[in-house]
Amino acid sequence: MGLHPTVIVWGLLAGPIWGLIGAWGLPRVYRQKGLGASGAGTVGALAGFVAGPLLLAPLWYFTPELTRRWSVGVAALAALELYTLFAILYPDNLCVTNRDYVLNQVASGLTIGFIYALMAVGLTLIYSVQGVISFAHGQFYMVGGYVSYYLLQLLTDFNPIIGVPVAGLATLIIGMAFERTFLRPMHLGQIERAGEYAILVTFGFGFFLEYTTLAAVGPFSQKTGPFINAGSFVLGPLRLLPNRLVAAAVGIGLILALLYLIRYTWLGKGLRAVSQDKQAAAVSGVNPLTMNTLAFGIGTMLAGMSGATLIPVFTWVPWVGATAAVRSFVIIVLGGLGAIPGALFGGLIIGLVQALGAGCYPDPSKGAAYKEAFGLVIFALVLLWRPTGLFGREQ
Amino acid sequence: MMRRIDRRWVATGILVVLLLVAPSFLKSSYRLSVVTGGFFYAILAASWALLSGLAGQFSFAHMALTGIGAYTAALLGRDLGTSPVTGIIVGTLMAGLVGLIIGTLCLRLRAAYLALFTIAFSEILRIALLTEFQYTEGSNGVQLASLYPGITARGEYYVMLALLMGTLGLMYWLAGSRFGLFVRAMREDEEAAAAMGVNVVRYKVLVFVITSLIVGLCGSVFYHQVGIITPNTMQLLQMALVIAYAVIGGIESLFGAALGAFLSRIGLEMLREINILGLHIKFGAWRYAAFGLLLMFTLRFAQNGLLYPIINRFFQQQVREETVAKRKEPAEVQA
Amino acid sequence: MRQKIQLFVLLIAVLTITVACSQPTPQVVEKEKIVEQTVVVEKEVEVEKEVVVTATPAPAGEAATIRIGGLGPLSAPGTVVGGIAMQFAMNLAVQDINEAGGVLGKPMELIFADTEGLPERGTSVAERLIQENGVVALAGEYHSAVGRTIAEVAHEEHIPVLFSETWGDFITETGYPEVFRIAPASTMVSKVTAEWLAAIDVETAVIIAENTDFGIGAVESDTKFMEEAGITVAEPIFVELGTQDFQPILARIQAMDPLPDAIRMNVTGENSYNVERQMTDLGLAPTEETVGIANQVAIQSEFWESVPNGEHWTFTLVGLPPSLYNETTERVATAYRGQFDTQPPSYALEAYDTMWILADAIERAGTTEPDALIKAIEETDIDLAQGRYYFEYTSDNPVPDDVPAFMWHQWPDPAVLMLQYFEKNQGPADAAVIWPPTYQTHGTSYITPGTTP
Repeated sequence: MGLHPTVIVWGLLAGPIWGLIGAWGLPRVYRQKGLGASGAGTVGALAGFVAGPLLLAPLWYFTPELTRRWSVGVAALAALELYTLFAILYPDNLCVTNRDYVLNQVASGLTIGFIYALMAVGLTLIYSVQGVISFAHGQFYMVGGYVSYYLLQLLTDFNPIIGVPVAGLATLIIGMAFERTFLRPMHLGQIERAGEYAILVTFGFGFFLEYTTLAAVGPFSQKTGPFINAGSFVLGPLRLLPNRLVAAAVGIGLILALLYLIRYTWLGKGLRAVSQDKQAAAVSGVNPLTMNTLAFGIGTMLAGMSGATLIPVFTWVPWVGATAAVRSFVIIVLGGLGAIPGALFGGLIIGLVQALGAGCYPDPSKGAAYKEAFGLVIFALVLLWRPTGLFGREQ
Repeated sequence: MMRRIDRRWVATGILVVLLLVAPSFLKSSYRLSVVTGGFFYAILAASWALLSGLAGQFSFAHMALTGIGAYTAALLGRDLGTSPVTGIIVGTLMAGLVGLIIGTLCLRLRAAYLALFTIAFSEILRIALLTEFQYTEGSNGVQLASLYPGITARGEYYVMLALLMGTLGLMYWLAGSRFGLFVRAMREDEEAAAAMGVNVVRYKVLVFVITSLIVGLCGSVFYHQVGIITPNTMQLLQMALVIAYAVIGGIESLFGAALGAFLSRIGLEMLREINILGLHIKFGAWRYAAFGLLLMFTLRFAQNGLLYPIINRFFQQQVREETVAKRKEPAEVQA
Repeated sequence: MRQKIQLFVLLIAVLTITVACSQPTPQVVEKEKIVEQTVVVEKEVEVEKEVVVTATPAPAGEAATIRIGGLGPLSAPGTVVGGIAMQFAMNLAVQDINEAGGVLGKPMELIFADTEGLPERGTSVAERLIQENGVVALAGEYHSAVGRTIAEVAHEEHIPVLFSETWGDFITETGYPEVFRIAPASTMVSKVTAEWLAAIDVETAVIIAENTDFGIGAVESDTKFMEEAGITVAEPIFVELGTQDFQPILARIQAMDPLPDAIRMNVTGENSYNVERQMTDLGLAPTEETVGIANQVAIQSEFWESVPNGEHWTFTLVGLPPSLYNETTERVATAYRGQFDTQPPSYALEAYDTMWILADAIERAGTTEPDALIKAIEETDIDLAQGRYYFEYTSDNPVPDDVPAFMWHQWPDPAVLMLQYFEKNQGPADAAVIWPPTYQTHGTSYITPGTTP
């Protein structure tokens, strides 16, 4: 490309500068005209970023009603522009030159996204009922994997899929026991400063689980046999790993089962009632304490099952939980805390961001090392811009 | 009536002397460095208690800020050949600056969100330091010059001790001042505090900046003593330990947190393995497991920590004795 | 508030005294007497300096045992698997030595310390071993970054250290009189790999490495030797330890046109299994087009658990091939298999040998006095589990200019072999030795995937 460096530099700088102007100015314009300014900051920032004054000026003049369509529209434009910029700067990048490569990355990102989502759904369920973020979630995931592993040491001839329900049962029991002992007093008002207590006590329990496992099973890596003994298969331009597809399918199945449980069963109604209004629920005969315990148990059960679906795919060590936990935090915040479908979207987004980030990062020697960091950067940005998450309700 | 000499002052005098001569009893530089490390973690835990216990801001970025201070000093020393003092000053300011940015960005975030954001921040920083090894030497870590040529373990002990006393004094002064009052009021009810005329934004950011400066300073000094800083310093495990120390000591009390960290640190160091009557016990991972359990039970059954109530009781007793004595005095006078 | 500070001061004082009066590791055996004297050196400025002198154990009965400090990672972030293997092997060696009558008529005692893979811990535990436990020599360590700080302590305290598994060239490059190494330097391993790749006509290669001191060092020396051998090396791919999903990264290699002729792994521990498994599943390597070279962890039985279809992976092995095991190696291997159900990796054998080398040197020196001991280690000439040990470049024979500096106090002959599996679930003893030609067991330098020799 024969672009003068100065042009590139100004092109790169102009976007953010106009974005800032838009983010700062547009809500003021709206307010001055006596209109609702909700979403004006976001649209202003994106519009300024995409087209600078070309788009900001008409917005200022006409001040159309900023519906969801507007945000999505400018966001899509921004993405398109970023992609074009990327293509100009790195014309040789595989993500620009090779369509099949991009499709493969998208497929692998979506597959792993469903796998990530299962664990995150458990975390978000706990939050929606209890208002607590469990910092021990990663360790439940780890324990689930080990339960499956030791079960299959006993039942060597079975497919590792049988580990999933057993691991779920084990983590359900551990989770409910922990909730009864340590979180219930909080709901009974026996603990001062409950919010901070919840963070620390779950954190402490995670710490305990991780090091107990380490001391008990040792640091050697372990893994069960595969679900299907096949390497990979080719489907059109895609090369897919069957074991991951099985894990993703189990993940989707369990999430659907959970949604059914919540929508259509008595238990689900109870959980929803408690998550919306504890007192009203208690009045109508639902015991919030029981629901809390059940929600925590189901949440940890999903983490444990997620571990059991992954131990045939990835190598297991006692510290696998930490990375997975941080990833789940990212997912549930992206999806909006407490929103179960949101966690699913969050999982897919993180799967995609990691796959495309690692696959497209200009410096191939570093793309892989920054894989987890890509998700974290998106997370930090979303947290600052919209703490209720991409799909969460505005508070 | 003769004013009695306050026994506490006498005790303090003796203690200061004891503390100053302690290195002569400790003898080996290994033991000195264990105690010096205890001082360092005491500062970290106390400043974390100030930030989270008093101000209610749950940050997991404490070790990351320590690392920023130390890395700034290390990279300046390596690339520009600056003296350790310059490195420490710039490192401290850099940690303060990052603290300012985080504090400002996180103003709107509630406890759990702040915890998540700071975890993300620490992890990104750690991964970046590992990956950009052309500049940071990756997991090899950057080496730092000693504070001054020919410094002994004893010298390092005194430096860290002075730092501990200084920062603890500063934090106590802050906690006891109007600043502390406002910060505590905000923790309890932010809106009410704002209604009472407390500039919530300013104080929230300020407390983050102050603790960042403190850990940046201690980090840059301590790692000059250690001689090397690596990205592993910022691991979540290290942060978890600082939090556990503070909780066990008593999160509501700076002094409890500091003491908790000091005792736990030395305890963990001595508990690595034990030989009792030929029975060789290796604690290894079990000691951390026990630590996690201790943390949970402390939280559940002793919200103020394990040490703080003991200390409190000790003083209450002293106060009670004095009150009793004072009540007697008028009687004696009358008699 | 002030009261609290005062109490704090009190407690600190009490504690410091407690620490002062207690040994961190209370010993059953009679404590070795440590004579401490404080020397005040007066210069322009008064500098106080402490000198800790370890008692020379000349008179019988003063020290009950001869103590050696063992070092290795026993907890994360260190490679715990390595530390455990080394600790086991060292204990085994000490047991053997004591059964054979001990050293200087006394039993030898190993005090093993956990370095956690952290350089700063290396400093602290090395100091502890020397100052508190009064060890006469240090041995072991797995991570080079930790080795570097241990070498500094050993140099300051003037206590010999015999490294068994730190590959970084820089470990011996400092030329410290106290530092010895019997593991190969990174460069020595790279050289053999590159020679082999050139011999089987590899033209292009990709290196995947962990972003640690080991990975970065290995990439540097691998790239250098491969390029010297006329191989085109693509930009290396660094991965963060703890990553599980490598598909996006491997897709990058898969999109290369043409595919590389070889993929070299420089990832240690359990992290490498995920990459190797996914590479195999994706059909990337080892294939007819692409040679897959795993790290030497492929020797562990866990390799097959994690990479069930991993036949035809090649890997580097440091040390003798099982076919050339001598009597000592066989004995160590039997004991090791009894404990871990797998063949001893090179770092276990090396760790075993370090104890014997030190015992032999102390016996010849007739004392544990550092200078005499260092001199005796320099003159080592002994046959052990990994072959005949000696040090070519010593104080009597300094490293000449045309020899790389890391050859100082370096065992020049560690065997570096290329092995290849050709059937599922093979043990390292069944694997084909394919390079160097003198050791070849199946008469070939490479077994093409899909075939058996």
